[in-house]
Amino acid sequence: MEAIFQALISGLAVGGAYALVALGFSITFTTTKTLNFSHGEFVSSGAFIGMSAMLLLLGKPITSTTFGGAVPGVTAQLLALVAALVVMGGLGWLLYVIGVRPFAKQPGMAWVMSTLGFGVVLDSIGLAIWGPKPVVVPSPVGDSVIQILGIGVRPQELLLLCVAVVVMIVFDVVMRKTMVGKMMRAVAANGAVASLMGINTNAVMIGAFVVSSALAGLSGFLIAPITQASLFMGLAIGLKGFSGAMIGGLNNPRGCVIGGFALGVFESTVNLWQAQWREIAVFAVVILVLSFKPTGLFGSRLVEKV
Amino acid sequence: MKAIRAIAGIVASLSFAAAVPAASAQEIKIGFNGDLSASPSAQSGQAAVVGMQAAIADLNAAGGVLGKKLTLVVRDDTSRPPKSIQNMSDLIDNEKVVAVFGPTNSGNAMAWKHIVNQKKIPVIDNVSSGTDITKPMSAGADNYMFRVSMVDREQVAALMAYVKKGGSDAKKIGFMSETTGYGQGGLKDMKSIAETQGITPAAIEQFGVGDTDMTSQLNKLKAAGVNTIVIWAQGTPIAQVMRSMEKINYYPRVLSSWAADNITFYDAAGKNLAEKPLFLRTVSENRTPAQDKLFARVGSQLKAPSSFSFALHGYDSVMILAQAIKQANSMDGSTIRVALENLNTPVKGLLKTYNKPFSKTNHEALTAKDFVWVHWKDGRLVPYTDAFVASLTPADYKQ
Repeated sequence: MEAIFQALISGLAVGGAYALVALGFSITFTTTKTLNFSHGEFVSSGAFIGMSAMLLLLGKPITSTTFGGAVPGVTAQLLALVAALVVMGGLGWLLYVIGVRPFAKQPGMAWVMSTLGFGVVLDSIGLAIWGPKPVVVPSPVGDSVIQILGIGVRPQELLLLCVAVVVMIVFDVVMRKTMVGKMMRAVAANGAVASLMGINTNAVMIGAFVVSSALAGLSGFLIAPITQASLFMGLAIGLKGFSGAMIGGLNNPRGCVIGGFALGVFESTVNLWQAQWREIAVFAVVILVLSFKPTGLFGSRLVEKV
Repeated sequence: MKAIRAIAGIVASLSFAAAVPAASAQEIKIGFNGDLSASPSAQSGQAAVVGMQAAIADLNAAGGVLGKKLTLVVRDDTSRPPKSIQNMSDLIDNEKVVAVFGPTNSGNAMAWKHIVNQKKIPVIDNVSSGTDITKPMSAGADNYMFRVSMVDREQVAALMAYVKKGGSDAKKIGFMSETTGYGQGGLKDMKSIAETQGITPAAIEQFGVGDTDMTSQLNKLKAAGVNTIVIWAQGTPIAQVMRSMEKINYYPRVLSSWAADNITFYDAAGKNLAEKPLFLRTVSENRTPAQDKLFARVGSQLKAPSSFSFALHGYDSVMILAQAIKQANSMDGSTIRVALENLNTPVKGLLKTYNKPFSKTNHEALTAKDFVWVHWKDGRLVPYTDAFVASLTPADYKQ
């Protein structure tokens, strides 16, 4: 019984990371109908930006491969978080301007290649600066295991879980209740008409990429203390986050988060059964869900008029 | 940065050497082909190169080999098999090296081992530990792959001997491995040697290389009553297994692959958890006077002090090759191979004195009885012993 509860909690902890990444995919999709396929690389980059900021504030070179036991204070952590959000947001703007806008209006899927390529560029630059060695990043909320009735979880994992839920609620409210949200949904529904109605579609689209990329920075910042900061960490998380978004429904932020959590819990219960079949089981479920509900469990049906 | 600069220096000096073909009659070129920059194992490859350079400097200072100077041609394969194959052709066909060292990653050796066997160029692997690297292409065929490094199967043999000594009835054993090629290869060796030793694992569990929570798998082992776990994985995932043990407060005896010697493992697990696993290495951080001398020369060029073992492999592998060239009195690959398989003179290395290290059938210079048991203690890799380790004899290491 304890094992099942542990699997549930551990699954939610892992799922928190997937949920945040899934939300990042959702934001650009609901406004521009494009996806940043290098979202995973953005997550790794965010982790490294945050880590470098903390190293700088501790008076160490950004290429240090260890914190050497030093734990950055609250101010340093917050400044690092701001750095990760701002730098990644800026990169998101850059990605939109050079990688998405020139291709978004054209037929075909050139933006898929250009966002993928942007990720490769980010990865290569990251390797040149920080090298391949993973770096252990101290957690802002400590690293000692919290035991509840024999079930263990780390504070950082709980933090990630809470942040994912809060971000989901904020995003959900903004999309449904505010003018900005209505503008974003209008642009997604029909960019030309939205533009005629006086909505600055360009600004909305840029905004979507900035917010989505800043969210990747936040994800990287929060995930790094759990996985270690590594340039290779984003690839797996990006893929799983995307799967979570597909299961939950790409155009529904609530669905994305639930999909991410569900995927995490599903993984850890498969681990209780036969861990070597996990990846197969995960993608079998994704395919199964998509074949019955092509827009995901919570996604609304896409009505395309031709 | 220092190591990168050092390597840049090597590359620069080598390209200079290559630009003076007139000198080639007076020199013997040897190559290194392995990852120096891309994967977390790159620091091991860098250390091996540093050790090889030290050996070459020593040999050249003593008059060279057969009156000729040795020079080293270094190629970085960035851990990619296609690049590694390309490097190999370049080293053999363009640079005309007499022998090659490396690679850093086992998979790359498997990618080009047919090439060196066809072209009859001896290779001494001084980093990667994959069991199959030194196997001949077909039974009884001439084999040009030699090794002065750790061997996965030999480690497994020693770990299983330890489990056997502890009594497989008193200890309920479980196996864990990651789902990569490295983990699966180790698991295969573990299963087959356990069978030879008459050990039956109570449970076998696997996990992904990037996983951060292995509590589900550990709870299954706990439920099966396992009190000794053998883990085959890379440094970071082993650390994640240890961290998951802490979550469910389950601390069985942990024996692991030598990847736990990587500083990334120590950093990720944290001091308390990192000190738990026992594993094997070719050397601990308690150095002999001769090893200390080399450390004083090259220590500053290493990314982490724990990677010094690869500098020792690098040093000794060059010394063994030099002796074989002397004995062969020739630069011909197949003659050197025959000499390597029948070395008449013992080679005094830094890890040990190699007395006939290789034969027609054995291409491993270091085997289970040469390895030392180590664990982390206060940030250093120190020798470990207990009643079971002390009572191990070569006869206990079953293949």
